[in-house]
Amino acid sequence: MFRLTARALRSRPGRFWLTVGGVAACTVLVLALQAAHRSVAASVGAYLGQPGMDLWVAPPGSDNFMRSSALLSTALVDSLRAVDGVAAADPIARAFVTVKSGRGTVPGVRRLALMGVGYVAPDGPGGPPVLLAGQAPRRRNAIALDRAAAWRLGVGLGDTVWVNGRAGIVTGLSGGTNLLATHLVFANLAAVAGMSGIRGQASFIIVRLGAADEPATVVRTIRERFPDVAAYTREEFLAANLREIGAGFVPLLSLIGLLGVVAAGSLIALLTHAVVEQSRAEIAVLLALGSPVRRLAVVLVGEALALVGVGFLLGLALAGGLGAALDRWRPIIPLPVSLEEAGRVFVLFVVAGVAAAVLPLLQLRRIDPLEAFRP
Amino acid sequence: MIVLELDRVSKVRGSGRHAVRALRDASLVIRRGEFVLLEGPSGSGKTTLLGVAAGLLTPTSGNVRLVGHSLAALADSARRALRARQVGFVFQRSNLLARLTVRENVMLMRTLADGGRTSARSDAARLLAALGIEWLADRRPRELSGGEEQRVAVARALVHRPAIVFADEPTGNLDGATGRAVAAALAEAAAECGAAVLVATHDPRLVPYAARRLGIDDGCVAEVS
Repeated sequence: MFRLTARALRSRPGRFWLTVGGVAACTVLVLALQAAHRSVAASVGAYLGQPGMDLWVAPPGSDNFMRSSALLSTALVDSLRAVDGVAAADPIARAFVTVKSGRGTVPGVRRLALMGVGYVAPDGPGGPPVLLAGQAPRRRNAIALDRAAAWRLGVGLGDTVWVNGRAGIVTGLSGGTNLLATHLVFANLAAVAGMSGIRGQASFIIVRLGAADEPATVVRTIRERFPDVAAYTREEFLAANLREIGAGFVPLLSLIGLLGVVAAGSLIALLTHAVVEQSRAEIAVLLALGSPVRRLAVVLVGEALALVGVGFLLGLALAGGLGAALDRWRPIIPLPVSLEEAGRVFVLFVVAGVAAAVLPLLQLRRIDPLEAFRP
Repeated sequence: MIVLELDRVSKVRGSGRHAVRALRDASLVIRRGEFVLLEGPSGSGKTTLLGVAAGLLTPTSGNVRLVGHSLAALADSARRALRARQVGFVFQRSNLLARLTVRENVMLMRTLADGGRTSARSDAARLLAALGIEWLADRRPRELSGGEEQRVAVARALVHRPAIVFADEPTGNLDGATGRAVAAALAEAAAECGAAVLVATHDPRLVPYAARRLGIDDGCVAEVS
């Protein structure tokens, strides 16, 4: 049976490779979408999950880093430091900034709207989670720029960029700070607050706890003592941020992913249908000779599964290659392929392939074995 | 031993205004090892009779017994299994599977009959040798002449030692000498296997091999004297 399937596939090389190519393209599409979503979640996790960032104090109603416009007074910082269990409390300012690769609007100047994060540089909490090159900003005019943003702006370490019209020198390139929709740029707290007009205010206050203190206990104390602010443990804040990302990303990704699976299934169905139609005479002969329909169905399903398997493996390899190539030459979108997710996608494709083969298989029952007698 | 018996079999094909009575109370008996011709003009019901006799068509009335089994009493799957084990076919076109080699085409019937587990390869080789085409074993059907293809089809029809072979115009597409050679090969190989043969044809080259001749006209079967 395996030999018959292999022969069947080999006997139609053009159609085989076209279908395999289609399934591979669908695989790349679905895996790339998953990887894009995962990379954003990983970046958020990398940033918010840094050690020493145990609790997040936010303006009332703000439960995530991505979308928050209210502000806190920096005077709250000292009050928080007085709470039992709080080892340190530091403000961060978060504001959207415009970063240009040159001054003015001359041709060739690149421009990006980024999420600026001002923190107590260089060692305070809320800075870059990973520095891929250079160092954290030490001076007021120093910035650490997300690597992908730097690539898109065409700048590197030591270059001058213009942040909200003020000159800044790129002293570091950060990783884990690409949120696809935007990128993070890090600078001194006073610099970000100053250029955003929020001097004396903070977007969030990050709290570090003593080694023996329970986050849940301390967060409860803060909520009781400061009812006008919101406080979250790291896990709560991270979950809220991931939920926020998911709300925007997941429905769209699910839809496009579903379309990818449907497209792959349609290709398989089309091929299986064509195989049944073109093999009609042979199938009639086999039925006349006494071949069970089940055996023919197994060959056809085997053919469909082989197409899914080869197409998926090719797509997996292409997705891996695409991720590596993007990382090497065009680091705009991180596309790390996860084998675990790839396994789930494969199962989905197999189900789609088998389901797609069912309709053409029903045609088998309509083939009259007497067709074998036709001259 | 009777291998095929049709008892007052009728078959109406199509329905309503398009209904055609393809067989009318057809009765016949074929015994083991007999070589029987079924002669008649085009449209006389030859292929329908073969289809009914082989269990590919269900008669409208009457009874068909094939190798001792009443086909009406068998489920589809059982009829298929009976066909795979006890029946061989030679069609007007060879209908060999293009993807398989000659040897694999012949072995295919063994696979369908008993899974091809026992001596399928050596039986196929023996039969191909008996038909004088063992040297074609590794070729594909597209590399064969018409006569060679039909000899392979004869080998495929007999490799599983069926009780009966149904042949539909097996020499219809072949020239004079080739047709005679294929007819002789079918008759000799069937005799060696002990299989009965029912050949639907209007080719006189087959007459010398026939033990009996049946005529069919407008669905009615009669012995030809």
